[in-house]
Amino acid sequence: MNLTRVWAVTYKEWREILRDRLFFAMAFLLPVGIFMVLGYGISFDVEKIPFAVLDLDRSAMSRDFLHRFMDSRYFDYQGHVTSERELDPLLANSDIRFAIIIPPRFQEQLLAGQATSVQSLIDGVFPYRAEVAKGYVSAIIANFNAQSLVNHLAGTQGKSQEQARAQVAPLRLESRYLYNQALRSQWSISSGLMMLVLMVTPPFLTALGVVREKENGSIYNIYASTISRSEFILGKFLPYLLISSLNILILWWVVMNVFGTPFKGHPFFYYAASVIYVICTAGVGLLISLLVRTQVAAVMLTMVVSFVPAMLYSGLLVPIESMAAATQFESHLFPTLYYLRITWGSFLKGLGWEELWFDVLALMLYAVILWIAGYMNFHKRPST
Amino acid sequence: MNQHGFILWWDRLLAMTLKELKQLIRDPVLLLIISYFFTVDVYMAGSGINLNLRNASVMVIDHDHSAASRELIYRFRQPYFDFKGEIFDTKTAESLLDQGRILAVLDIPENFQRHLLQGQATAVQFQVDSANTVLGTLATSYATEITAGFSQDFVAKRLGLGAEQMASLPIIQNRYRVLYNPNQIDGWFMSISELLTVTTMLAMMLPAAAAVREKERGTIEQLAVSPLSSLQILLPKVISMGLVILLGVAVSLFMIIIPVFDLPVKGSLGLFFTVTGLYVFTASGIGLFVATISRSLAQVTMLVILLMMPILLLSGAWTPPEAMPQVMRWAMKISPLYYFNEMSYAILLKGAGVKILWDSLLGLALLGAVFFNFGVWRFRRQFG
Repeated sequence: MNLTRVWAVTYKEWREILRDRLFFAMAFLLPVGIFMVLGYGISFDVEKIPFAVLDLDRSAMSRDFLHRFMDSRYFDYQGHVTSERELDPLLANSDIRFAIIIPPRFQEQLLAGQATSVQSLIDGVFPYRAEVAKGYVSAIIANFNAQSLVNHLAGTQGKSQEQARAQVAPLRLESRYLYNQALRSQWSISSGLMMLVLMVTPPFLTALGVVREKENGSIYNIYASTISRSEFILGKFLPYLLISSLNILILWWVVMNVFGTPFKGHPFFYYAASVIYVICTAGVGLLISLLVRTQVAAVMLTMVVSFVPAMLYSGLLVPIESMAAATQFESHLFPTLYYLRITWGSFLKGLGWEELWFDVLALMLYAVILWIAGYMNFHKRPST
Repeated sequence: MNQHGFILWWDRLLAMTLKELKQLIRDPVLLLIISYFFTVDVYMAGSGINLNLRNASVMVIDHDHSAASRELIYRFRQPYFDFKGEIFDTKTAESLLDQGRILAVLDIPENFQRHLLQGQATAVQFQVDSANTVLGTLATSYATEITAGFSQDFVAKRLGLGAEQMASLPIIQNRYRVLYNPNQIDGWFMSISELLTVTTMLAMMLPAAAAVREKERGTIEQLAVSPLSSLQILLPKVISMGLVILLGVAVSLFMIIIPVFDLPVKGSLGLFFTVTGLYVFTASGIGLFVATISRSLAQVTMLVILLMMPILLLSGAWTPPEAMPQVMRWAMKISPLYYFNEMSYAILLKGAGVKILWDSLLGLALLGAVFFNFGVWRFRRQFG
């Protein structure tokens, strides 16, 4: 390998990038832009669920019960209706996502020491949100029941409130949230987004590099020159690696200073691991541009292999453990899963090489495989 | 315009549309990728992905080893938890949590059973990895529900209460009905969501790529001197790509989503395809606008991704609109995907018709008209 030739290709590529000022600006603006939008926008907190009420009892107790929903920050009261038929169009048009129906004789039955039931209708179009809403509803009802039972026992058996409470609910669960005690979802999301953004943007930058020369025909200059295959690939690759390595630092700064996420790990270890990750993701782009002939195809293929694993198979949005066995296997084929572990481990858990060596090795292996695949697929004598 | 001119106008439009289609067919890699998006990609998103937490690995430190503690541990099982066994000291627990091998540890204190039998309040500790806050919160809420259920059953058993006596206590039974997707099948939601995302991406990218390619190769000059009007140059790109995308949506719906995931189509398919057509037109308008301000496909790609991120995010598919801050909710009103999303789920799952959806339909049509006219106007200024 002749370093002068590598340098020549790198320098030429760098000049080309610099001349396209919009492209150059986007190479830095795009990652930060995506980062800010997603960082502020993604939230899995299900809150302010709009709901309506059908109260067939209209008693003091039913009002008291309904106020537990109205006062909760998880629900957003939209109004009363007078018949069940009015609920259907409201639900169908997504004006409300949840409705609660209180039966007649609600208060009468409770005061007589009898069980009663309320009906809740939940919009199930988004199963995850339906599940969470169901949890909120049962928590509110359970709370009401506990209070009601305590009063009942205190009234009928003449016990103090304290004793009655121990009798009704003797067991409590004390939870300790490790690594993120205050449960700030922005800490998880913002650091996790390092993985997403560094998966999505570097391949696009690189993917267009080689295929542009193919489409313009300037690749024939390379074919006719004395430069070797690996020199050309490496030379093409270096400027994009430089841009992405700078982007790591910019994003890192944003995660810590704009989103206020603490960094508990080892900075050098994390930076080194991040550069290896970027070599993988930018390498994916390079491999694609060696495989296809047109720029549109390169862009589309890049979307396939970068967006999907980053969004679905990394563990950022979808828990890996909940996946079917085949999908779990698939998710281990992409570098995103390993890098997300490194990221959360470094930012929130304060881990280093001793705990994360396996994930770093996986990334290295990935980089080597990509390099070999790229080398095998680039020919200076095209078959057609 | 006389009748002859009218026919000529349409003839030219048709000729251009055929030209675009031919050009697309000549790029087999691109065709392959488009069909991948509409089939394999939608299938994968719908089959393996589960946003809810399932099989969270949990381990137990049991200091009591009694019948009661075993009974409690037994309840931490599938589908929510995956019991991975017992450990004996907190050191091991911490290192397993650090490495992300398990999600949570349940710690049962000594004299657990004795306290319960004596009617004293007691607590178990639940340590949960909340580096990912979503998982941390879900796991805790499942665990709380499990302990509450255990606690209630324990009390009922100790007091010798059967189902009959439970009915003579003043409590509310929660009867819920999940509408539109009663079994909460994630596949319905995820596959449709992925289909809408794919449609957005292709509808923005394909016409934009077709337009900017003419610029890159210089063939735009030939078109500019031909007797074609700006509309006759741009509209065929939208029509041809729109047809391909509609075909893709049909394939995806009839070959993947309906047969594989047993999606019951409640509403009118005619309305769904009309809405999809309108949406593709709107999204292409954005794409054409991007094409007019870029000089190369590299720039188009960057800008499309930059625009697509907020559009996807403000669609309501990832984050419920209710939970967004007010500013974001206003911003959603100019995201075409928001309307498309609402309408697609309403038509396919809820069986809503034009009577309910007219406002979203109007919103989308307005956005479409604005975006498309803006794109054509920009183009006319450049080449007219």
